[in-house]
Amino acid sequence: MTARIGRAASAVTAAALLAITLPFVANSYFVGVGFTLLVWLALTESWIVISGMTGYISLGHVVFVGIGAYVAALTWLVLPIWIIVPLAGLAAAVLATFVGYPCLRVRGPYFVILTFGLSELVKYIIVNIESALTVSGRVLFGAPGVETLYLIALALTWVSVILALAVRESRFGAALRAIRDNEEAAETIGVAIGKFKAAAFVLSSIVPGMVGALLIMRSTYFDPLEVFNPQTSVLIVTMAVIGGSDRPLGPVLGVAFLVLLQELLWANLPQLYMIVVGVLLIAVVVWLPGGIYGKLQRMTTAVAR
Amino acid sequence: MSTQLLIAALVAGSIYALIALGLNLVYGTMRLINVAHGEVVMIGAYVAYWGISLLSVGPLISALAAIPMAVALGAAIYFGIFRRAMQSMEFMERIEGNSLLVFFGLSVILQNVTSLLFTPNQRGYRYQDEIVHFIGATVPVNKLIVLAIAAAVCVAAIVFFRRSTLGLAIKALMQQREASALVGIPLTQIELASLCLGFAAAALAGILVSMTEQISPFMGFPLTVTAFVVVILGGLGNVLGSLIGGLLLGVLETFGVALTGPSYRSIMIYAVFIGVLLLRPQGLLGAGRSRT
Repeated sequence: MTARIGRAASAVTAAALLAITLPFVANSYFVGVGFTLLVWLALTESWIVISGMTGYISLGHVVFVGIGAYVAALTWLVLPIWIIVPLAGLAAAVLATFVGYPCLRVRGPYFVILTFGLSELVKYIIVNIESALTVSGRVLFGAPGVETLYLIALALTWVSVILALAVRESRFGAALRAIRDNEEAAETIGVAIGKFKAAAFVLSSIVPGMVGALLIMRSTYFDPLEVFNPQTSVLIVTMAVIGGSDRPLGPVLGVAFLVLLQELLWANLPQLYMIVVGVLLIAVVVWLPGGIYGKLQRMTTAVAR
Repeated sequence: MSTQLLIAALVAGSIYALIALGLNLVYGTMRLINVAHGEVVMIGAYVAYWGISLLSVGPLISALAAIPMAVALGAAIYFGIFRRAMQSMEFMERIEGNSLLVFFGLSVILQNVTSLLFTPNQRGYRYQDEIVHFIGATVPVNKLIVLAIAAAVCVAAIVFFRRSTLGLAIKALMQQREASALVGIPLTQIELASLCLGFAAAALAGILVSMTEQISPFMGFPLTVTAFVVVILGGLGNVLGSLIGGLLLGVLETFGVALTGPSYRSIMIYAVFIGVLLLRPQGLLGAGRSRT
C-alpha cells in the first residue's frame, strides 16, 4: 500500500516538475490554458476528498471558491500575495468547519440540495453586503502575470493530488469509504462518522478557497455573481464523474477533455459546450459507472487475463 | 394584512404548489430527483409564447399542445434512460444521486438547446392584463385566471389521489413498493404514468407562469429550487404536503418581500430551505420518514 502511494506520488511530482518549465518555453496563451487546466484539476481533486470518498455529493463547492475570491478582493493591496492566498484557504476552511457538521447530518439528495442551497445563500448574502456597501464589482489593480499564477496553481494542484492520494490510501480514507458503503455499519464498528465526514469536508475546502484567490487575480475583477456561479459546481461534478470519481488519477482525463473542449467551443458556441457537458454527464452515469478511468482499468485487466 | 398581498400570495403559492406536485410525484414513485423539472415548466412557457406570437392562439389553447409535448418528453426519458438504467444494480444502489446527475445533464441540455434556438433573451407577451377590482384589491385579470386554474388543478389532484384507481395505485406504490407489486399493481405502467403526469403538471405551470411573467431559457432553475423548498416543507413523497407547502411558501415570500424588500427574496427562500432541511429534514408535516 505504501509502495503504491509512493510510486503514484513520485509520478505526480515528476509530472509537476516537468510542468514547471511551461511558462519558460510557451507563449502566454498556452500558459493560460495550462492555468485553466490546473485550476480545474485542483478543484476536482479537492471535491473527491469529500464526495468521491464518502459518497456525499457536494453540489456547492463553488462556495469555497467564492469565499476565497472575496477574501482576496477585500485584502488586495492591503496584504502581500503570499499571505492572501493562504488566508483565502483559511477562510474557506473556517466556513467549511461551521457548515460541515450540521450539513453532513443529512444524507443523499438532501445533502446535494443543501450544499447547492447553501452556496446560493452565501452568494446572495455577499451580493447584498456589496450593494449595502454600494460597491458594484471590485477591480484588482497590479495583479501578477499569468506565468506567476500558473506556478502557484501548479503548486496547489500538486498539493490537492497528493492529498487525494494520501487520503485514499490511509486509514482515514478507509473509514470514509466505509461511510460511503454503509454508514450504519461503519458507525457500529466504531468509526467516528461525524468527525470523519466533517474533517473530509474541511480538507476538501482549503484548496478551492486558495484557487478562488488565484481566479480573481487572473480575471482582475470581483463580481459575486461570477465567482459564485453554480455552473462551476456543476462542472466540478461532471469532470470528476466523467473521469471516475473514486480514483485520484481519474479526474485528470475528465478535466483534460472538458477544458480542451472548452477552449475549442467556449468563445463561439458556449451553449454547444454546455450541451456536450450535459450529454456526457448522462452517458457516463447511465452507461459508464466508474467513469472513463474505471472503463480503461476494466479493459486492461480483461486484456491481462 | 391587505387583500392585495393575500391574492398575490395565493397566486404565487398555487403555482408553486402545482410545480412541486409534479416534482414530488416523480420522487415518490421512482425515487428520481428531477432537477430538470423547471426546464419542463420553461418548455410550457415557450409553447405559450410562440402560440400567441406566431399563431395568435391564447395560452390556454396552447396548453393543449404543451401538455402532450411534456408527456412525450417524459415517456422518452423513461424509455430512453430510466427503464434500462433502473435494471442495473450499480445504478439502483445510488439511484437518488445518479438520477440527480442524469437530470442535471438533461436540464443543462434543455436550457442550452432553447437558448441556441431562441436566443438567451427574455421574452414576454401581453394577455388579459387589464386591471379589475376584486374584493377590495386591484389585480390584473391574468393573475385571477392563473389562480383559478392552478387552484382547480390542485383540488382535482387531491380528488384524483383519493378517488381514482390510478391515483390510489400511485399512492400505494409510494408507500409500499414491493407490496404493491405483490397485489398486482403494474409497476412499470404506474411509474410511467406518474412521470408523465408530473411533466404534464409542470408544462401547465409553465403556461400559467408565462401569462404573468417574462420568460427565458434559464427561468427553470430558480423554479426547480423553489419547488424543492416546497417539497421539503411538505415532505419528500408527500403529495398533499406539497400543496400545503406551496401555499405556505407563497405567503411567506409575498409578505416577506413586502416587509423587507425584493433584494432579500432569494436570501429568504434559501434560508427557509436550509433551516427546514437542517431542523426537520422529513418536512414540516412529514412524520418520521427516515433521513436517507
